[in-house]
Amino acid sequence: MKVLRRIALYGALTLAALTFIYPFLWMASATFKPLTEVGTIALFPDNPTLDNYRTMWARAPFGRALLNSIMVAGTITLSVLVFGSITAYAMARLRFRGRPLLNAVTMGVLLVPGQLTLIPMYTLIVQAGLIDSYAALILPYLFNATAILMMRQFFLQIPQSLIDSARMDGMGEMRILFSIFWPLSKPVLSIVAIFTFMGSWNEVLWPLLVVREQQLMTLPQLLTVFSLGGGAGSIGVSLASAMVLVIPVVIAYAVLQRHFIESMASSGVKG
Amino acid sequence: MPSIHFEQVTKRFGTTTVVEDFNLDVADGELLVLVGGSGSGKTTILRMLAGLEEVTEGTIRIDQRDVTSLAPRDRNVAMVFQDYGLYPHMTVRENLSLGLRLRKVAKTEIDRRVAWAGDMLRLEPLLDRKPKQLSGGQQQRVAMGRAMVREPLAFLFDEPLSNLDAALRAQMRIEIGGLQRRLGTTTVYVTHDQVEAMTLGDRIVVLADGLIQQIGKPIELYRSPVNRFVAGFVGTPPMNFVEGHVTAENGEAAFMAEGIQVALLPSEVSRGLITLGIRPEDMDVELGDQADSSASKGFPGSVVLVERLGGTSHIHFDSGPHRLLAAVSNERLPEVGENITVRLKGERIHLFDGERRVTS
Amino acid sequence: MRAEARSGSLMVAPYAVFLLVFAAYPIVFALVLVFLQWDLVTTPAFAGMDNVRLLANDGRFWRAVVNTFVFLSIHLPLQIATALALALALNRPLAFRSFWRAAFFLPVVISGAVVAILWSNLYATDVGLINGLLVRMGLNPVPWLTDPNTAMPAIAAMVTWKNVGFYVIIYLAGLQYIPRSCREAIEIEGATTWQRFRHLTLPMLLPQTILVVTLSTINGFQLFIEPYVMTGGGPLRRTYSIVLYLYTNAFAYQKMGYAATIGVALALIIGTVVFVQRRVIGKAEAL
Repeated sequence: MKVLRRIALYGALTLAALTFIYPFLWMASATFKPLTEVGTIALFPDNPTLDNYRTMWARAPFGRALLNSIMVAGTITLSVLVFGSITAYAMARLRFRGRPLLNAVTMGVLLVPGQLTLIPMYTLIVQAGLIDSYAALILPYLFNATAILMMRQFFLQIPQSLIDSARMDGMGEMRILFSIFWPLSKPVLSIVAIFTFMGSWNEVLWPLLVVREQQLMTLPQLLTVFSLGGGAGSIGVSLASAMVLVIPVVIAYAVLQRHFIESMASSGVKG
Repeated sequence: MPSIHFEQVTKRFGTTTVVEDFNLDVADGELLVLVGGSGSGKTTILRMLAGLEEVTEGTIRIDQRDVTSLAPRDRNVAMVFQDYGLYPHMTVRENLSLGLRLRKVAKTEIDRRVAWAGDMLRLEPLLDRKPKQLSGGQQQRVAMGRAMVREPLAFLFDEPLSNLDAALRAQMRIEIGGLQRRLGTTTVYVTHDQVEAMTLGDRIVVLADGLIQQIGKPIELYRSPVNRFVAGFVGTPPMNFVEGHVTAENGEAAFMAEGIQVALLPSEVSRGLITLGIRPEDMDVELGDQADSSASKGFPGSVVLVERLGGTSHIHFDSGPHRLLAAVSNERLPEVGENITVRLKGERIHLFDGERRVTS
Repeated sequence: MRAEARSGSLMVAPYAVFLLVFAAYPIVFALVLVFLQWDLVTTPAFAGMDNVRLLANDGRFWRAVVNTFVFLSIHLPLQIATALALALALNRPLAFRSFWRAAFFLPVVISGAVVAILWSNLYATDVGLINGLLVRMGLNPVPWLTDPNTAMPAIAAMVTWKNVGFYVIIYLAGLQYIPRSCREAIEIEGATTWQRFRHLTLPMLLPQTILVVTLSTINGFQLFIEPYVMTGGGPLRRTYSIVLYLYTNAFAYQKMGYAATIGVALALIIGTVVFVQRRVIGKAEAL
C-alpha cells in the first residue's frame, strides 16, 4: 500500500515538473523548426534548421544587446557589491552621526513601490540629457537598499575582536572591509551578486523608458521590441531571440541552482 | 491480563539492528521504566509502541488487541514528548481539548475533562495562555494534561524531564509518580536518568545496544544486578569495579588484586579472572593503617580527595593502581594523603566474569 | 571616536547622495508632479487638482484597477493552493528532491519578457501548444488571449506558473519549523491527514501565507510586461494594467504630470490593499 502511494506521489511530481519544464523544451525545439512545422506539438522537428537563428541575428543587433546586458548587469552588480558593502560596513560597524536615520530611510525605501518614482526618475534622466546612454541604465541602480540591508545584517555578526586587532595593526577601514570582512562574507556576497545580476538582467520597463536606440538596448528589451514590432515575422524567429536570453541563465542555473534558489528566496526578488 | 505485550519485537534500519528480540509484559496500571544510554533502543521501543516507528519483526498488543500494524491514531495511547510537543498557535485550553474535539466528543464532556485535568495539574490560571508564555515546568504539565484528558489505554513518556533543570526535575518526578498512582493508567516511561528510573518505576527494564539487560523492581536491580552493565548503571555514585582473581586454599577463598585483598565465602566461587564490584555505600573506612592487614581485616588506601556533602562524604582513594570511591557518614574524615583502611561489607560484594556470580 | 565617525560619514556619503538624488528627490517630485502638467519639452504648467480630478473620473484607470482585482481573485487562491500542495509534496525524504525543487523554481529565474513571449505562443489560438493539446484530446480550441473573458484568467494562470516555485520555497522553509513532536502528537491524538493539515500545518504556516498574499498582491498591481507583450491591454481593455497605463501616458502621450499621478495613486492603492489584507487574514486566524 505504501509503495503504491509512493509511486503515485512520484508520478504526480513528475507531471508537475514537466508542466514547468516542458514549455521551455517546446520553445527550444520550436526555434529549430522550419516555417512549415511551426506550432506543432512534436518536440523534435522533422527538418531541423538554424534558419530562425540566422534570421534573428541578421535582423536585430542581438549580439550587441547581449554585450549591453552583460555590461550593464555586470557593472551594477559590481557597484552594488563594492559600494554597497562599503556602505553596509559603515552602517554596521562604525558609529557616526545620522546612522539611525540612514538605517530608517534605507528600510523605508523598500516600502515605496518602484512605480511611484518611475516618472520623476525618467524626467531626471531626460533633463540630464542622458536618454540613450549607458549611464541612464546604470545610475539608478548603483546602490540597492535590499542588498545593503542584507550585507549590514551579516556584517553585524562578525566579532568585534577581529576589527579591533586589525585596527591595532594599523589597518584602515577599507582594508578591514576588503581583506577581513569580504572573505568571511562569501555566503551573503554571493546571494547579493546573484539577485542583483538577475534583477538587472531581466529588467525591461526601465530600459523601455530611457533607451530608444537599438544599439544600446538590453537583451530583454530588444527581444520585446523585436517580437512585438513584427521584426520577427514568425514564432520561430521570435523564440530564437528569446533563447539568447534564456540559455545563459539556464546554464548558470543548472550549475548553481542551489545558490540561485537561496539568493532569490532570501531577497524576496522575483525575476 | 497484561495491559501491554511485546513479543519478539525487532527493529532494523537497513542492516543495523536497533532493537533485538524484545519481549515484555507490562501489567495493568504499572509504571514501567525503560532506561539506558543513547543508542540503547529505549526510545525506539516506545515509538514502536506508539506507532511512530514500524516494527520490523514481532507483535505488540495493547489490552489483548494486536496493534502492530495500526496507525498511532487508532491505538488509543497518549504520549508526552521531551520538548512537550504543544501546539504553539493554540491556547492551553485548546491544546488540552484538541484530541477530544477531533473525535467529536460532546462539548460538555470536553469541558468537564479539561476542568478535571486543569484542576489536578494546577493549570486553571494558564488555560487561556499560549505555550510560549509558559515556563518549562508549566508546559510539561500541559503536555501531561493533554495526555490525561483522553483517558487513553496507556501513557507513553519520552524523556519528559530532560529539558528541565535539576530542581524542577526532582519536583516533577514526584508529581508524575503521584499522578500515575492516582489515575492508575498503565505507563511506559523512557529515560536515560537512572535516578528517575529508580524513583518512579514499579519495574525497570535496563537496555543496552537494543538488548534487555535486566528487568526487575528497583531494589532488585540495586541489590542483585545480573551483569556488570546493570551493576554499573544503577546506583549513584556508581559501583566500584576491580579486576583481579579469586584464589581458594585451605578452605579459605579470597579475591586478590594489586594492593587489594578481600576475604570471600568459600563455597560458591570458582577460580579465575574475576571482577569485584562494591558500591561506595557498602564500604567502611577507618583512619590509619591496620597493624596487621590480613585479608579479613580490610585493605589499605591512600586518600586523594574528600568531598564533604553534609551528611555523607565521598572519599576518593588509591589502593595500588586502583582508584576507588567510598561513601561514608563518618564524623571524622581523613585528609588528603592520609592512609586509610577499607573494609567491604561481605554480603554486598558482587563478583562478575561477564555474568554475575552469587555471593550471599 | 572622531576618526571612526569621520570614516563612517565618508564611507556612507556616496550612498547618502544617491538616496537624495534617486530616492528622496523622486518621491518628493512625484508628489509635486501630481499638480503639474508637463510634456518634458515645454515648461511645466501648474494644473492644480486637474490631474486628480481627471484620474477620479478616468474610466481607463478604473478599468485597470478592476482588471487587477480580477487578476488577483484568480491568481491568489491558485498561487496559495499550488505552492502549498507542491511544498507539502516535497516536504519529505525523496529521491531527486533537488531536481523537483529546481524544476519548479526554473520559471522564477527566467525573464518576465521571455515568459510572456513564450506563453503568447503557447496560448496562440491556431498554432499554440495548449490548443494543440486540447484538439489532440478531442476538445475545442479556446481563443485564450483574444476572448475578453479568458484573457485575464489566462495571464493569471501564467503568472502563477512563473512564480509558484518561489512560494514553494517559502512554504518549505515554513514547514521545517513545524516541530516533529507536534506532528507526532497530533497523529497520536487521533488526527486524520486532513485534520492534521487543518489544525496544525495550515495555522502554523500563517506567516508564510501572509507573505505569499502580500507579495503576490504587490506583484499583481505591478503587472506590466505581461499585458504589454501578450495582449497590449486588450481585448476590450480587459487586460489593461495600471502600470501599462502609466507607461503609455509617459511614453506615448508625454503627460508626465498625469503619469506621476497614476504612480502616486498606485502606491496608495497598494498600501491600502496590503494593509486591509493583513488585517483580514489576522482575523481569520483567530477563528
